[in-house]
Amino acid sequence: MDRRKMLALLGISPALVADSPAYARTAPKAVPQDSSAGGNGLITVMNPAIPGKLADRVPLVPPLNGLQDKLIYMINLSWEGPDAANYFYGAMTEWLDKHYSGIKTVVKVTAEGMFGGDPAILKEMIANKADAAIVGVAG
Amino acid sequence: MGRWAKQIEMQCKIPAIGIASSNIVHYATGYNFKYNNGMPIRYVSVPFPFTGQPRAVDVGYVAGKDMLTGQPLMTAVINALTSPLTAEEKVSGTPPEEAVEPRFLPADSEENLRRMFDDKEWTDFNSIILPTEKRVIEMLKGTSHKPDKVVTTVNITGGARQLTVEKVAINAVMAGATPEHLPVILALATQAPFGNSTSSMANMVVISGPIRNRLKFNCGTNAMGPYNKSNAVVGRAFTLMSKTAGDLRNNVNAWETLGNTMQYNNMCYGENEEALPEGWDPLHVQMGFKPTDNVLTVGTGWSSIASVGASQSIYPTHFLMRDYMSSFCASGSAATIVMDPTVAGLLKDTHGFSTKAQLSEWFSQNVQKTAASYWGNGVIQSTAVPLALQGLEPYASWRKLPDDALIKPFTNSRAIHVVVAGGKVQTMWFVTDFGIRRGVLIDDWM
Repeated sequence: MDRRKMLALLGISPALVADSPAYARTAPKAVPQDSSAGGNGLITVMNPAIPGKLADRVPLVPPLNGLQDKLIYMINLSWEGPDAANYFYGAMTEWLDKHYSGIKTVVKVTAEGMFGGDPAILKEMIANKADAAIVGVAG
Repeated sequence: MGRWAKQIEMQCKIPAIGIASSNIVHYATGYNFKYNNGMPIRYVSVPFPFTGQPRAVDVGYVAGKDMLTGQPLMTAVINALTSPLTAEEKVSGTPPEEAVEPRFLPADSEENLRRMFDDKEWTDFNSIILPTEKRVIEMLKGTSHKPDKVVTTVNITGGARQLTVEKVAINAVMAGATPEHLPVILALATQAPFGNSTSSMANMVVISGPIRNRLKFNCGTNAMGPYNKSNAVVGRAFTLMSKTAGDLRNNVNAWETLGNTMQYNNMCYGENEEALPEGWDPLHVQMGFKPTDNVLTVGTGWSSIASVGASQSIYPTHFLMRDYMSSFCASGSAATIVMDPTVAGLLKDTHGFSTKAQLSEWFSQNVQKTAASYWGNGVIQSTAVPLALQGLEPYASWRKLPDDALIKPFTNSRAIHVVVAGGKVQTMWFVTDFGIRRGVLIDDWM
């Protein structure tokens, strides 16, 4: 007779005589009562998330009414180096010169790359009465 | 970039637009705008990658399309500079507070709570211990500090989130720590969050001082492997609190393109101080701490290269280490070498390095790489090129060198750290590009 069937007829669980400790494992002890666990089996836990402070909103300054005769600064942030943005800004300058009479462009590479500031460039833009700026190129 | 454009708008009172690839624009106009910048900067988008392309490609982008609108790129530029402001672009002032995060989450089944923690990306997607109040209260017994004390303000991508002792304790429970670990994890919390960069950064956490033995941190065999509870839970806690306090979520404000598998445990291990050769000070003592101080040190970098190195006396260990270090970008002159005590012993007894500092100095003097290899690294392009353009040495001179000229990029030997760990089973070592920060006194968080 199959051993399992025989044991079952005797009312003995086969697990009690099984070789594998996994079969013979006793029932787990009851978990100590946690006050966080309700009688309905639901659990209350603490929240790890922290609310973020939203940034104060700052409106954009009014846009230009056109590009004719404007002074545009192109700011090169040296994203992984200055070369790519310089190529790009050079082509942009050519395009603008072709399409807008009197437009002037100035390309500036920032002193501290993309991470720092460059007060000298800002000062120069104010002194030269720049009309707009293009910042980049990241990617 | 948004910060730059905002500065120009505010200080020069002129319109400023940004140009970037679309993944950066997505972040800039989303998370960064909401929590950091607050100014709805207008963007035009170029294809990615932008850098590293032949000149013709970057020039060609000008004649191409804006990746955001599909318009010709220059039309998009002109529109961004000239089109009237929308009502949204005129909004000013302090926005209403974001919904307050409740201290407790609504009661739910264990299964649902686990799913929610994963859905919110509060976990590392391994199972966590759910932070019931009872468990958190028990955890807080590990420190004398009040639960509402602010450990640090996490602002890596904005939001200025205040990481309190209680929040750290919640994360410690989630990581599987015990109250005895809490002071270590609080010290670690002062350094949160971990590196988060498109360049896929990683961290290293080194435990120093008597607490290593008291909490049974593994400093010996398998110091960096998954064989020890303290190493495992403290390292993991850094990940969990960085994610929860930094609100780091994939493709929202966590943009590591490859990610880094070291972020699961952050290379947490103890220095094998007992096995240091005579004259080689423990890491924290090198920083000016007392040998009896308990200190935690965090390093940040990207990678490690491993080797076994004692078999060839003709080409000894430190030569191999030197060669491998030349693969690193040497940003900030940073490197950290982790070596088995047998290697440290060889370097001292056979090769005459009587202190760690001597070995660091030797690396500084002997690691070389070509100028082309140095400048070819994107991190160096972003950080050292601006220094060169300002005329700062040695970067300005290095930039003028021919591609095949050799330079010594590790200019500061004090940024090259040596840590001894391991079980004397093999003459094994890792050279890493991790920059080590100043250590933090764990004793302050008891």
